[in-house]
Amino acid sequence: MRKGSYMDVIKGRFLKQNFGKILIAIFISWFILSFLIVPNIKIIYDTFFGTGTFSIESIQKLVRSERAIRSIFNSIVLAVILSVTVNIVGILIVLLLNYFDIKGSKILKLGFYTTLIYSGVALNFGYKLVYGENGLITKLLMEIFPNLNPSWFSGLFAVAFVMTFACTSNHVLFLTSAIHSIDFHTVEAAQNLGASQFSIIRKIVLPTLKPTIFALTILTFLSGLGAVSAPLVFGGNEFETITPMILTFARSATSKNLATVLALFLGLITITVLTFFLRNEAKGNYISISKTKMKLKKQKITNKTANIIMHIIAYVLFAIYTIPVLTIIVFSFTNSKAISTGQITLDSFTLKNYATTFSSVNQLKPYLVSLTYGAVASLLVVIFCLICAYLMRKYRNGLTKTLDYLLMIPWFLPSTLIAIGLIITYNVQNPLVFNRILTGTIWILLIGYILTKIPFTIRICKSAFFGISDEIEEAARNLGSKTIYTFIKVILPIIIPTVAGVYALNLIHILPDYDLSVFLYHPLYQPLGVTIMNATKNTVTGDTKALILVYTVILMVINTLIMYVVYGKLGFNRKGNDIK
Amino acid sequence: MITFKDVEISYDDFVAVKNLNFEVKEGEFFTFLGPSGCGKTTTLRALVGFNKPSAGKIYLDGRDITDLPTEQRDIKMVFQSYALFPTMTVFENIAFGLKVKKVKKEEINQRVREIAKKMELSEKQLERKVSELSGGQQQRVAIARALVTNPKILVLDEPLSNLDAKLRIQLRNELKHLQKTFGITTIYVTHDQEEALTLSDRIAVFNNGEIEQIGTPQEIYENSSTEFVCNFIGDINKITDLVKANPQKFTLLDLNNNKEFYSRIESFKVVKNDLSNLSETEVAFEGKIIDSEYYGFYTKYSVDLGSQVIQVILTERINVESQKITVVINQNKILQYA
Repeated sequence: MRKGSYMDVIKGRFLKQNFGKILIAIFISWFILSFLIVPNIKIIYDTFFGTGTFSIESIQKLVRSERAIRSIFNSIVLAVILSVTVNIVGILIVLLLNYFDIKGSKILKLGFYTTLIYSGVALNFGYKLVYGENGLITKLLMEIFPNLNPSWFSGLFAVAFVMTFACTSNHVLFLTSAIHSIDFHTVEAAQNLGASQFSIIRKIVLPTLKPTIFALTILTFLSGLGAVSAPLVFGGNEFETITPMILTFARSATSKNLATVLALFLGLITITVLTFFLRNEAKGNYISISKTKMKLKKQKITNKTANIIMHIIAYVLFAIYTIPVLTIIVFSFTNSKAISTGQITLDSFTLKNYATTFSSVNQLKPYLVSLTYGAVASLLVVIFCLICAYLMRKYRNGLTKTLDYLLMIPWFLPSTLIAIGLIITYNVQNPLVFNRILTGTIWILLIGYILTKIPFTIRICKSAFFGISDEIEEAARNLGSKTIYTFIKVILPIIIPTVAGVYALNLIHILPDYDLSVFLYHPLYQPLGVTIMNATKNTVTGDTKALILVYTVILMVINTLIMYVVYGKLGFNRKGNDIK
Repeated sequence: MITFKDVEISYDDFVAVKNLNFEVKEGEFFTFLGPSGCGKTTTLRALVGFNKPSAGKIYLDGRDITDLPTEQRDIKMVFQSYALFPTMTVFENIAFGLKVKKVKKEEINQRVREIAKKMELSEKQLERKVSELSGGQQQRVAIARALVTNPKILVLDEPLSNLDAKLRIQLRNELKHLQKTFGITTIYVTHDQEEALTLSDRIAVFNNGEIEQIGTPQEIYENSSTEFVCNFIGDINKITDLVKANPQKFTLLDLNNNKEFYSRIESFKVVKNDLSNLSETEVAFEGKIIDSEYYGFYTKYSVDLGSQVIQVILTERINVESQKITVVINQNKILQYA
């Protein structure tokens, strides 16, 4: 009896002391189980046990569908092409801005960096304005070649062209950071030993950048494989890819299982490619042995012809990057007639589009919807990942290691698969979410945004926490501070700049999102990405297009400000944060 | 005041320290000295409460503190990196421990300024971010932060290792002065024998997770109880070959067992051919200078005595070129280890 009451006291004390920790552990376990594990198991289950017993009927159905098979083939072709073209353009612009001494490089930088301030649907919208049926370039070409088909810019070529220039933002961020980590002494040593400028690039610079280029190639391959908006806008009927196909299949009740199988297939390719990447990642890395590092200096191209060619390439690329952005900005100040026909006169200019947009809350609704989703999802994912990363740092054991792996699940899965998983799991009452139906509610998109942002956020939060010396926390403890007080007063202030950076980057990625939103959005709360995408259709009126132009310009202004604060003021990624 | 009783600390199968049995008296400056990886910091962290012993007990004023969390021990630590909170000002850093204790604002203000004055930190410096201070000033902030809560014991983990040589000597002196002023029991960890000898009342020499010897600096230096301590502290000549080659000269030594013989380099005398003043315990050898290292006010010479090359130090300069000299060794100053 006495022993029993003693044990009760111990238990009571344990519960009292660890109540907060137990609550956090329960919440994390529930979240992971409900949204990371069960939806994926459900996809696999529905694929093979959809009829109640084991069957591969849905796979056979997929194989029989010529359209589906062609979409898989097209996606793979696109991914392979982009892996080459994006690297060529990406490496070229990084070298032109950072390695070679090119005249007007500051202006060029503004052009090459435009993909950082608008991407996805907004970017496609811009290219459509330039290369579409009424686009500026199309009109110009038709004057030279009167027989040119106005819809010339479609199919594989158009998708690959747009995506080549859209996907260089990762190169701009990560390859730039990598090239600046090169010790310039190694370049000078090669020069001193008689190597020519271009052989130094081939033999010294590029091999040093190899691990980053390898990682970027994988990212590009996956972007090509899971591409949504570019194939939808420019692919036309003859070039359909996997994700738009999943979208089409998911909309019809009879082909829903095909969408599930295709999403599973996409997920399997992604996992295979990423596993290959992780296995080979360590092999390609080299360890810098520089004792005293020297900053990279820009090189004048000594060969005159080569110098002229490089300058021409630089300015042609500049034109390709900037024309769509300038077109968006200019057309946002014109009337609907100019926007519909693509012809501008002096009378076309007006501020009416902006006045209309800002005069009613209704006009700004897609913006407010995406802004609210972005702000809330970014905040929640940052809080969640901060807690998880802190636990991983504080308790380094098997349990936190498992947590680490589980939180990486969305990194291995395309957002389409995540979306399909959520839809099919929560389209009926489910005890995991207290017997509620989530599909079709405003919550499912919020959960989707949080899930897709977990891997990036957790990586950055972890590196921020692990960058703090253990002694800092021990010093606080030694001075009498408890865990939560130490976290709030000592640790959090140190990592706040990084946390603010992650928050802002998540927000600007969510704002124009289309890939996930199109599957999960609530019809009454259409997010910005979906609204912009709809405006790329030829049937849309000039007034609607005008509104989208204003949205896109505001989006670019917000992104520019955030990028300036995050990368300029907060110094985010200055030490080369992880990719993705 | 502090008692370690049969303390052992292990990580999984690896035993980091074992058989720790020692006492530290109140007001004492006690140093853990030893090479990297010998277990001195592990022992210190067990005292502070960051490591838990796998066996044995630690007592503070007779009270068992082995399982007490660090915040309840009243032992404050100055870290090797200082571990100052980078987002706080100097004032906020020093005040941190008091705020945690919920001391009143006016009292915090008064106590922080008092300690800052003693540590020679100006009012202006109190408002600065810690990153704006020099290494020496940062060290003072770290010590002030630890002392402001009036702990029973102050522990310092290699606090001078990040500083340049000149500043190290300056701060070493300041540290000694501070310890005497506050009269606080201090445990100091270092791998630098010079620091240990100049600062400490007593030293514990660690090797391979065990204490080899505890004693005053003089005892440790002059009567090193083990071969390791003798080698680790100061400059030493191993003269086993010389002794064994000249048994007739070393009449006071026990040459029967397989012993190793050592002598501190400053106990060698150099004489100029006049051997009439040799005492009974002294023996002389002729040798040839083969090398020299100039240290400013003294020079270290390598002398070939035939069976052994030894080092001697002299304040006067000798022409190195094949110079012959006579070296005298006092047998009473020879250390011998089985």
